[in-house]
Amino acid sequence: MSKPVEVDIALGILDHQLVDADGVNCGKVDDLELAGLDGDSPEVVEIIVGGNAWRSRGLLGRLAARLAGEAVHIPWSEVESVSSVVKLKRPASELRLDRGDRRWALVVGKVPGS
Amino acid sequence: MSLKNVLAVALGILSAIGGFVDIGDLVFNTQAGATFGYQLLWVVVVGVVGIIVYSEMCGRVAAVAKRPVFDLVRERAGFGAGLGTLIAAAIVNLMTCAAEVGGVAICIQLLSGLPYRLLIVLAVVGLVVVSWVLPFEWIERVFGYLGLCLLVFAVAAIKLHPDWGMVAHGFVPGSHTGGSLSVYLYFVVGLLGAAMTPYEVYFYSSGAVEDGWGLKELGLNKVTAMIGFLSFSLMIVAGALFLPQSIDPQFLGTPALAAAHVFGKVGLLLALVGILFAVGGAAIETSFSGAYNTAQFFGWRWGKKERPAAASRFTLAWVVIFALAALVVLTGYDPVKLTEYSVIFSVVALPLTYLPILLVANDRTYMGSKTNGRLANVLGVAYFILIIAIALAAIPLMLITNGGQG
Repeated sequence: MSKPVEVDIALGILDHQLVDADGVNCGKVDDLELAGLDGDSPEVVEIIVGGNAWRSRGLLGRLAARLAGEAVHIPWSEVESVSSVVKLKRPASELRLDRGDRRWALVVGKVPGS
Repeated sequence: MSLKNVLAVALGILSAIGGFVDIGDLVFNTQAGATFGYQLLWVVVVGVVGIIVYSEMCGRVAAVAKRPVFDLVRERAGFGAGLGTLIAAAIVNLMTCAAEVGGVAICIQLLSGLPYRLLIVLAVVGLVVVSWVLPFEWIERVFGYLGLCLLVFAVAAIKLHPDWGMVAHGFVPGSHTGGSLSVYLYFVVGLLGAAMTPYEVYFYSSGAVEDGWGLKELGLNKVTAMIGFLSFSLMIVAGALFLPQSIDPQFLGTPALAAAHVFGKVGLLLALVGILFAVGGAAIETSFSGAYNTAQFFGWRWGKKERPAAASRFTLAWVVIFALAALVVLTGYDPVKLTEYSVIFSVVALPLTYLPILLVANDRTYMGSKTNGRLANVLGVAYFILIIAIALAAIPLMLITNGGQG
């Protein structure tokens, strides 16, 4: 039973777009935390987004992780639905997934008409 | 079709004609014409069909699954290979953008006589302001319609009275004369690369997702899908005028001389204005493609329609690409040489761009009943094999031929 589920996670969830409750893009499913792999009912407990999450994603990922900050951990219970995107139940700001755009908005926001 | 639709299609076709040519087409078509006459016209046909096949696919994916190209690259290639593709695409995008910015500056220099480096700065500031202020709809119109001045080359091609039998013969691949096989193959690769540049696919699919295309818009899309006859005109003009006089168009302004030869000052003016806006529009497309790709790879908020500060990383990305492009050409590096390199390197990055499109266009979980039909798959696979072949051949051919110099 566990095998088809694994394929789904790799192809259908990992590396897919995260969208918040307001329909705004807020990162990718960069890594997944699984629990119960030694038992008979393995499950996804967390989505890991950004920064450190890339460590486990090959040579380029390790390099990129070193340059980036800390990852954000989103419990799977925050997931509303999975289609070609992973939709979350709450707005990005409540899940700390809006850090990047907020930081750079300080720069871009200085331009008139932004 | 209602009158409004007919008008929309007609205007779409007009801006597609004006917007089709970029610096890669300009450089490779005139150089190919000056070296081999009309003998490489068939390659343009192959390239234009190729870009139509893959634009149709990623347009359909954008309309049905609402996913732009770099989402697909990330989802199918994974983080490592996806990041590799992103970096390769970013380098090619930057080189192309730099060449286009240089092209804009050269055109204004030829028109005004002001110093080149000053014009690079003015050009890039102008492009950033235009991109910031105008919606894409207007950018497409302004640059597309003014780019239509390039039609002067189509009229010039007729006025030069080329040997039409030879021109027709050029549409059939076969043995060639007047240059070594490796130079001939170099131009085959370059012309295909110039026609199938990856940034056009990135830009097109992101725009389609942002405009919320449905299947209805796809009907229109097929009609407006790129028209390549300006590329033919450029090659015919170069073949009729430059080849007999052994003129090597190593300067971006050289094609404009052909228009001047036929129509005098007015021709020169039309050609320069046409090149200016065709290349300027392409500069905007390349900078936004780079920003689209990066935002889509990392899952950022993106879109021209977003408030610039709301999608702040995306906004910074395209502004930074413009700034870096200006720095590259400010070094004084020749935009024509830069174009040659960018087209050849873009060919190397093509397979990793096109494979995810082909895979996802066949994936029912994304596409439901709108997966590829047989025609799309036969052509898609055939072009993918061709792309792999030219990707492998591109850099060796560039080295062997010293960039087509023989």
